[in-house]
Amino acid sequence: MAALEYINIKKCFGPVTVLPDISLTIPHGSFTVFVGPSGCGKSTLLRLTAGLEDVTAGVLKIDGEDVTDKQASARGIAMVFQSYALYPHMTLADNIGFALKMAGLPKAEIRRKVESAAEVLQLTPLLARKPGELSGGQRQRVAIGRAIVREPKVFLFDEPLSNLDAALRTQMRVELAQLHKRLGATMIYVTHDQVEAMTLADRIVVLNKGVIEQTGTPMELYTRPQTLFVAGFIGSPKMNLFSGKVAAAAGAHTFGVRPEHIDVSENGGEWRGEVRFVERLGSDTFLHVEVPEIGLIIVRMDGTSTYSGGSTIGLTPRAGFTHRFNEQGAAI
Amino acid sequence: MYDDGKLTTIFLFLPPALVLFTIFVIWPILNATNFSFYKWSGYGELTNFVGMQNFQRLANHSIFHQSIWNSVKLVLVSLLIQIPLALTMALLIYKKTSVNTAFRLIFFAPYILAEVATGLIWSFIFDGDYGVTAQITQALGIDPIYILADKNYAFLTIITVIIWKYFGYHMMIFIAALQAVPHDLLEAAEIDGASPWRIVWYVKIPLIAHAIKLSAFFAIVGALQVFDIIIPLTNGGPSNSTHSIVSYLYYFGLVQLNVGYGSAVGVVLFLLCIVTAFSYKRFAIDKGGEL
Ligand SMILES: Nc1ncnc2c1ncn2[C@@H]1O[C@H](COP(=O)(O)OP(=O)(O)OP(=O)(O)O)[C@@H](O)[C@H]1O
Ligand SMILES: [Mg+2]
Repeated sequence: MAALEYINIKKCFGPVTVLPDISLTIPHGSFTVFVGPSGCGKSTLLRLTAGLEDVTAGVLKIDGEDVTDKQASARGIAMVFQSYALYPHMTLADNIGFALKMAGLPKAEIRRKVESAAEVLQLTPLLARKPGELSGGQRQRVAIGRAIVREPKVFLFDEPLSNLDAALRTQMRVELAQLHKRLGATMIYVTHDQVEAMTLADRIVVLNKGVIEQTGTPMELYTRPQTLFVAGFIGSPKMNLFSGKVAAAAGAHTFGVRPEHIDVSENGGEWRGEVRFVERLGSDTFLHVEVPEIGLIIVRMDGTSTYSGGSTIGLTPRAGFTHRFNEQGAAI
Repeated sequence: MYDDGKLTTIFLFLPPALVLFTIFVIWPILNATNFSFYKWSGYGELTNFVGMQNFQRLANHSIFHQSIWNSVKLVLVSLLIQIPLALTMALLIYKKTSVNTAFRLIFFAPYILAEVATGLIWSFIFDGDYGVTAQITQALGIDPIYILADKNYAFLTIITVIIWKYFGYHMMIFIAALQAVPHDLLEAAEIDGASPWRIVWYVKIPLIAHAIKLSAFFAIVGALQVFDIIIPLTNGGPSNSTHSIVSYLYYFGLVQLNVGYGSAVGVVLFLLCIVTAFSYKRFAIDKGGEL
């Protein structure tokens, strides 16, 4: 049985339709990431799931039960907000225990649960503090702790890491993955960062303008993008996409190949072009190559590559790693 | 050490502020304190030094006791009725909708009205001979009622008018504070299973506590200074039962040309305000964090 089922969900804000028609099932225990550009409706879909917004049409089921008209608190979900949304006037212990207090649990039991959650998240020494006295990463942990103690069927995260610096973000990503493994709970995670999506998810749902473009494992999306949008969105740097004669010769409207799937040679090669610009990241080197009949192509090489601007090189897309799309942007 | 910029700022901005403060606050207080030791009509030389006599007379004057008691009642009513009422209304209409905006305007309008105009309007309403009350009693065919002349009701009426006039002001402070409460905190509380009433109690009110404390402070100080509502409504009557401290000062000090005596009342009022302000700061603000 699916943990969540979205059946023809539609959401309008007044005259604006944000989600025209979403149908989606999310398996038990999965870590599903909603990813897409800003404004595509990820947060809206998450908030519909949480019960913070009402659906305009459609049915939402959690654990097989229709929760479309149920209140947020009765859906068995917990949510972690981008802003953390901690109660600033309460101590960490009270923040984490608030839902339990609202549910009328005895004080001793609340304390026991709060303490064990704090233990898991390494917050024990901070329990008497208030959120204002914490670092961003610690606040994030408290927000997660507040979700954990409720033992929800589904965890919802809305860009929880976007307020953290890069190093902390990587660390929290690992912690979240471990948490998911330990709890085995269903988690839905919203981000517009495709690296976060690739590393955390066991399933990714790519949204674009309120429409699901593709659903699949990270590697499925990477190796077999079903639409032009997914091809361009997943992967960094972006897949090289071009139309014109070369694409037509391959029997496609748009032809695509990832920067890491192009072989470089001094002589020969399928296409020849001039290196315009070299980006050295240490681990990788990106060559920006101008190919006359195609345009600019980005090629990923390892960090030891010695090519420099001005030289002319040959490029060959690796067989079996190219992508073709028709006029509607669907994969052929 | 101060850096140059700070020093310049101090030299530039402190003197005007200090001069204004001295002219309009310190100097009058010192003057009044001086007057309070004289029997003086307000004209001519200060010659008749009477020591503490003005204060003694004050301490023994039952009308002054009544006026202090009235001011205390006004403070209590402001804190226990006006502020909770303003808070309730604010919670009901703080969200931005057109209906709420209309209500806000209606509730805030009395505050904009000049005090004296307020007094005149309400004295017309309560007028037993020609006012609204008169029309009602006539329509019902009963004897005229003179609420403002009735010792049992006159002060109650003043209290009602004061609440009517000022609760909108506090309501607006609360509305501004409530609108600043982050929305996702309320959503988090909703997901945490808090009922709307508990969200108010556990989240909204604590988060606007600073505004409530500030409002309460204004309410206390305002209540101690009530004056221009009383004069047109009852002029302190019937039989001097509805004076506040300030209207007492006005009536027994200025109207009766007893400026020395009035100054003594002023000094007492000043001390009362200072003591109240500092103890409020001590007990309500320092204890519960910053304002
Ligand atoms: N309460 C609302 N009223 C009207 N329009 C809204 C409301 N909430 C969201 N929208 C609109 O719905 C669309 C999707 O918003 P949503 O917040 O779901 O985007 P998102 O994918 O989460 O973007 P981001 O990555 O920037 O957070 C946007 O165009 C937004 O303007
Ligand atoms: Mg969003």
